[in-house]
Amino acid sequence: MEEFALIFGYIYQYLDNIGFLILAASGLIIIFGMMGVINMAHGELMMIGAYITAFTYYAGVPAPIAILLAGVGAGIAGIILERLVIRFFYKQLLSSLVVTWGLSLMFSQGFLLIFGPSILNIPTPFGNFPIDEQTFGIYRLVLFGISMAMIAGVWAVFTFTRFGTHARATMEDPEMADALGVNTRHVYALTFGLGSALGGIAGGMFALTATISPFFGINYTPLAFITVVVGGGANVITGLLASVLALAGSQTLVNNLVNVYVGYLGMMGTALIILLVLPRGISEYLERRKIRTERASGRE
Amino acid sequence: MPLNVSNLYSGYGRVRIVQDVTMSVGEGEILAVIGRNGVGKTTLMKTLVGLLGTLHGTIEFRDQDISRMHASRRARLGIGYVPQGRGLFTRLSVGDNLVMGERVGGIGATNRRRVFQFFPILEERLSQKAGSLSGGEQQQLAFGRILAGHPELILLDEPSEGIQPNIVQEIGRIIQRLRHEEGLTVVIVEQNLELIHAVADRCIVMDKGKIIAELTADEIKEPEVAKRYLAIAT
Repeated sequence: MEEFALIFGYIYQYLDNIGFLILAASGLIIIFGMMGVINMAHGELMMIGAYITAFTYYAGVPAPIAILLAGVGAGIAGIILERLVIRFFYKQLLSSLVVTWGLSLMFSQGFLLIFGPSILNIPTPFGNFPIDEQTFGIYRLVLFGISMAMIAGVWAVFTFTRFGTHARATMEDPEMADALGVNTRHVYALTFGLGSALGGIAGGMFALTATISPFFGINYTPLAFITVVVGGGANVITGLLASVLALAGSQTLVNNLVNVYVGYLGMMGTALIILLVLPRGISEYLERRKIRTERASGRE
Repeated sequence: MPLNVSNLYSGYGRVRIVQDVTMSVGEGEILAVIGRNGVGKTTLMKTLVGLLGTLHGTIEFRDQDISRMHASRRARLGIGYVPQGRGLFTRLSVGDNLVMGERVGGIGATNRRRVFQFFPILEERLSQKAGSLSGGEQQQLAFGRILAGHPELILLDEPSEGIQPNIVQEIGRIIQRLRHEEGLTVVIVEQNLELIHAVADRCIVMDKGKIIAELTADEIKEPEVAKRYLAIAT
């Protein structure tokens, strides 16, 4: 039983880390991959999601609906931001980084002025279950399950819908997409809105586990940023999955071998090695390899 | 008249590349735009499509002034564009590239049956990434993508570039079929004289951003004319 608890503990931690990174990074990688914008205000969109979840929850709305409302609210905020500011900085990595960092400061300081340093937390639902002498939170497994559902949903949207095809094409060559009748301005706004909505949902989900404050986003942005850069923008789904599996794996391993802090160092080390070998991220390498393989099979 | 251009000026920033171009293309006509490298042929095409702004003058498509219209709206009116280098979405599958063409003409439904009649190889390669196709197959996909929509006017920018000679002949036959079977009007920028001879009803010659001559298809076949306007020794 003791060995089972130990092995289950490792798996539980791995799934928890995977869920955390996917939730934190999924919105960000869509915006980066599709629009070439590093959105440093993504954490603040998550923070907006957390506040909407808290306010609606304490107004009597059930938590799952409150989290969905957080997604809607953050999505609308994202579309407004895109129309007013972001659209002037497409494919300008450095400028977009500085501008969105400024936006993140405005949001966090604005919320601090309006709502104060923190608001009432939401209790974590579902409780715990014991194995041997250890206890495990059920909600962490729910987070993992929802992160999987989220990535499956994003994959389905970008693979099977016309919007997804238009978005992927716009990402690759916006000028040609325009010349084929696609309104790329709408595609950009909707894509940014979708990325922001995912951030809002993630914020709502994390609001049930963390202190809700104006600086809520700072807990997630750096790790999400690393996940996105390691994954690369060539294919958001394969990039995100490959990056998360590698980073969460190394973090879990080192975490158990040494401790939590060194676990984070292990994750950073893994990111560093991957970026040294694949400077444009894992997905760029996988996409090139796929095209080479298909080209070779086409010649046979 | 599908396309009427009057006193058109366009370029990059304040630099005027296309200068005082006036031209028109008749229903079902194939008009070739020829000239040496760097004389503004591609700039003219991009301006007609809407990827470059009109600095001065007017562009009319079916009597509607489209000079200030966004590129995506021009495409939905029925202007199909195959750019130099083909402009395929190499990371998308062949099928998804065809989906991307369906808005040309504004109907919004993919006409795959027609595409596969013209280019049967695309049906076999449907799930393959466009970037993995051979040069000739990619050119077929670039044409097929436009046909997946409902274009009335097709603008082709050097379709023979980087293509094997036997496939260039095939492209010529395809352009003729597009005119005869689909009634399409075509403007083609090209340096390949063989292809121009095969398809063009009329040629305009550009130099330094201006139209300097208009030739019949027979005139361009004369070696002296080709040498003068294209600097090609035949």
